[in-house]
Amino acid sequence: MADQNKKEPELKFYNEILTMIHSVHVTAVCSYPTSNHTASFVSLGRISSPSELFAARSRSHKIPVRGQKDFFPDDSDEQRRRLEQSLTEHWSLISEERVEKLGNLVKATWIPSEQIVELQSPAGKFWQTMGFSATAKQFLLPEEALYLMECGDLQVLHQDLPLSIQDGYEKFLSSSTVSLLQYQVFGHLKRLGYVVHRFDPSSQPSSYARQLNLPQSRDRAEKRVKRKRSDSPSTTSSHTEAQEESDRMEDKRGGHEGEDDEKLPESHPVTSPETSGTHNAAASSAGAGGGGTWWMADVLGDQSDHQRASGSSSHRDFSSILFPDLGSREHLPSCLASPDPSLLPGSLAVGVCDVSHWRRRINLREVKMSPKEQEREEARWKRRWDVNKDRQVRQCRNWAEYRELLARRGGRREGRPAHLWNREVTPLHDPRQPIPTGQLLDKISVIESTHLLEGASRLKDSDDWRICFNVYQPDSVADFKKSNPGKPYSRMCVCSFGGLVPDLRAIKQLALQSGDVPVVFAVVDHGDISFYTFKDFQLPTDVIP
Amino acid sequence: MDNRPSSHAVGVSLCDSAPLLWRVEDLRTVRSQGLVGALLGSLPRTPRQNVRLGRPLLLLEEEETLLRERQAAAAGYQQDGRGAELRLQVQQHQEDQQRSYEEQSVLALEDRKSALLRAMTSSHTESGAGALDGALRGRLEALDRSFTFPCSALAVQLSTARAGLSYCPEARSILRADRPIRGRDELSCDTGRYQVFTDLRGRGFYLTSAGKFGGDFLVYPGDPLRFHAHFIAICVSKNESVGLLDLLSVARLGSNVKKTVLLCSPGPDGRVLYTSLQWSGMV
Repeated sequence: MADQNKKEPELKFYNEILTMIHSVHVTAVCSYPTSNHTASFVSLGRISSPSELFAARSRSHKIPVRGQKDFFPDDSDEQRRRLEQSLTEHWSLISEERVEKLGNLVKATWIPSEQIVELQSPAGKFWQTMGFSATAKQFLLPEEALYLMECGDLQVLHQDLPLSIQDGYEKFLSSSTVSLLQYQVFGHLKRLGYVVHRFDPSSQPSSYARQLNLPQSRDRAEKRVKRKRSDSPSTTSSHTEAQEESDRMEDKRGGHEGEDDEKLPESHPVTSPETSGTHNAAASSAGAGGGGTWWMADVLGDQSDHQRASGSSSHRDFSSILFPDLGSREHLPSCLASPDPSLLPGSLAVGVCDVSHWRRRINLREVKMSPKEQEREEARWKRRWDVNKDRQVRQCRNWAEYRELLARRGGRREGRPAHLWNREVTPLHDPRQPIPTGQLLDKISVIESTHLLEGASRLKDSDDWRICFNVYQPDSVADFKKSNPGKPYSRMCVCSFGGLVPDLRAIKQLALQSGDVPVVFAVVDHGDISFYTFKDFQLPTDVIP
Repeated sequence: MDNRPSSHAVGVSLCDSAPLLWRVEDLRTVRSQGLVGALLGSLPRTPRQNVRLGRPLLLLEEEETLLRERQAAAAGYQQDGRGAELRLQVQQHQEDQQRSYEEQSVLALEDRKSALLRAMTSSHTESGAGALDGALRGRLEALDRSFTFPCSALAVQLSTARAGLSYCPEARSILRADRPIRGRDELSCDTGRYQVFTDLRGRGFYLTSAGKFGGDFLVYPGDPLRFHAHFIAICVSKNESVGLLDLLSVARLGSNVKKTVLLCSPGPDGRVLYTSLQWSGMV
């Protein structure tokens, strides 16, 4: 160094340290001067000196590549040397501490009562996919905060002292927030670039609502902060729920109005079974003209019950609610009976509906035939065979004999032999009935194929298996919106190899909860994570349609 | 392998009832006793990858039990500061921060000066020494006057392990008596597995968890950093009957990953019976 004639000894000392640090990894434990400490508080923790911290700016950011492993230990020097080299490299990587400039760190505080981390300085790039705002402040969930601490982007203070990573693990991870297993999966996926959010079962729309493709207006932040408090519905939380439900109902009302105008605006009873259990379109279309609030008060009482009921997975089986087919050729009564009062909200009474004028409007006209076709019909009519010309018929002396003759003939010609059909056990299918091949195969099949969600709605929620996270793909990060994340790529259920394998009941229940998003089981084994998923599969039937 | 109490006790801290080691010296101690464990955290140098992880180290149940038997593990000292002690800690932290700031600003200034020197000497190699000195002195003095080290440029450390009590022998004995790592009823170590673990460890093998291979332990002939695993150890009790299909699936798995399956049955006298399965092909 050229300026050795200046402040010599000090400068020399610092320069030597700098050169030493630049050339050799710092592995020695550095103890802090203990002059003003009491004897019980001797810290031997790995705290770097200011010169080390300063020099850390120019640290390499690459990890050395691991060489090939050997197969068998022979006591050779070569192996021992390589082992020592691997170990040294290992220890130097492991013992390195995170050093960051204060300006690059986001500051935050840990709030143990809420189990949440509140940001004190503005959030960085991570805000696009992590955290939430409430009451004009920015918050992070404990697992998100811990991940950012491990990345070196966040410094969390508690009681004015910065928390170490160890403190973070011990304070933030518990069974009431996120367990260590779940955090391992969270961290693993975040490090790969995925966007991972907590799964909230109550925010899942029913399958029917999904069919209608209703927009979801969820306020994630409020739901989260409210969820921290007790699960029993307090007045404030039911108010927010009511607020959100009214938002949802507003949206549905808008959707329904559009549909109703196109189809049958007057047939209330037809549409009301359609919306039972979630919302009442009839009431909305009735109240659409008048002010919006009077019916909300009525409906809310039932709605919260319905909502809570549906929340505890007593989903309505919509396949068992019958739709009258007004267009069928079968004779239908011209009046539809009033619907089952259990399907309607309490304050609504629906009478009988006269559908005769609708049926008239449905196109039931006869086909008009061209002159050629009419000729063909007439020729066919002429060629009809006269039964009285048949010799065997003439031999019949009375109606009983004639009927016997018909039965014999019917059996022989039409393939309905008496010995098969005149007993208690008859064939599964009458060959005289036309039927497509696919349906015939279904009819005679012994083993019925089933799909994963069959019977799932009848299952009660179990406590053992729970979906923890929603996972969104990394390439969606650029236009990811926290308020409307869209459909996740998959949902994670975290378990370990020491625990049980999920049985069919658990898989069905989780698949139902997840909707159309595949459920992935992340199995954790001491730091190694394996991902498994069950896919629904139908054996193909070889049928020409 | 000797089982006398070692001089250094490692501090095991429980997170969500899992035994974790945080300090580098503890990791080294444990490795020198042949216990590998599994790293769980992000590596500070490159946090956004999963190939190499950093501290904490998760111990197997059997490893924790072994350390406790050798009286080589103590509960980590955890205490939220309160009242006067907390104020003292906060004051200490602030003083440390201030001292670090002062030292780093000195270093930053020197660094700038040397960078300036390098820049000037490299660009002025032809000009005379006198002119160089004059210009140089001027620039250095200007730097002295105007240089400020902003607070945001202060480098701070985000510690991995908590700074706390040291594990010197006197402290260790106090810790062990007062604060066991777990309550007595939480001892859930499967004795069969533990017997197999200690036996194999005693023979010099290194053992890690083998859940993803369908077994109990992966057995390495030497340090896992340098050698491939030879066996997948599965603990089966002597009286337990094993289905043929299970045996076949385990054998298939082993042959697919080129490892020998080792069925381990602990006996009553402390000895373990080993049976190996290897795919030999048709004869």
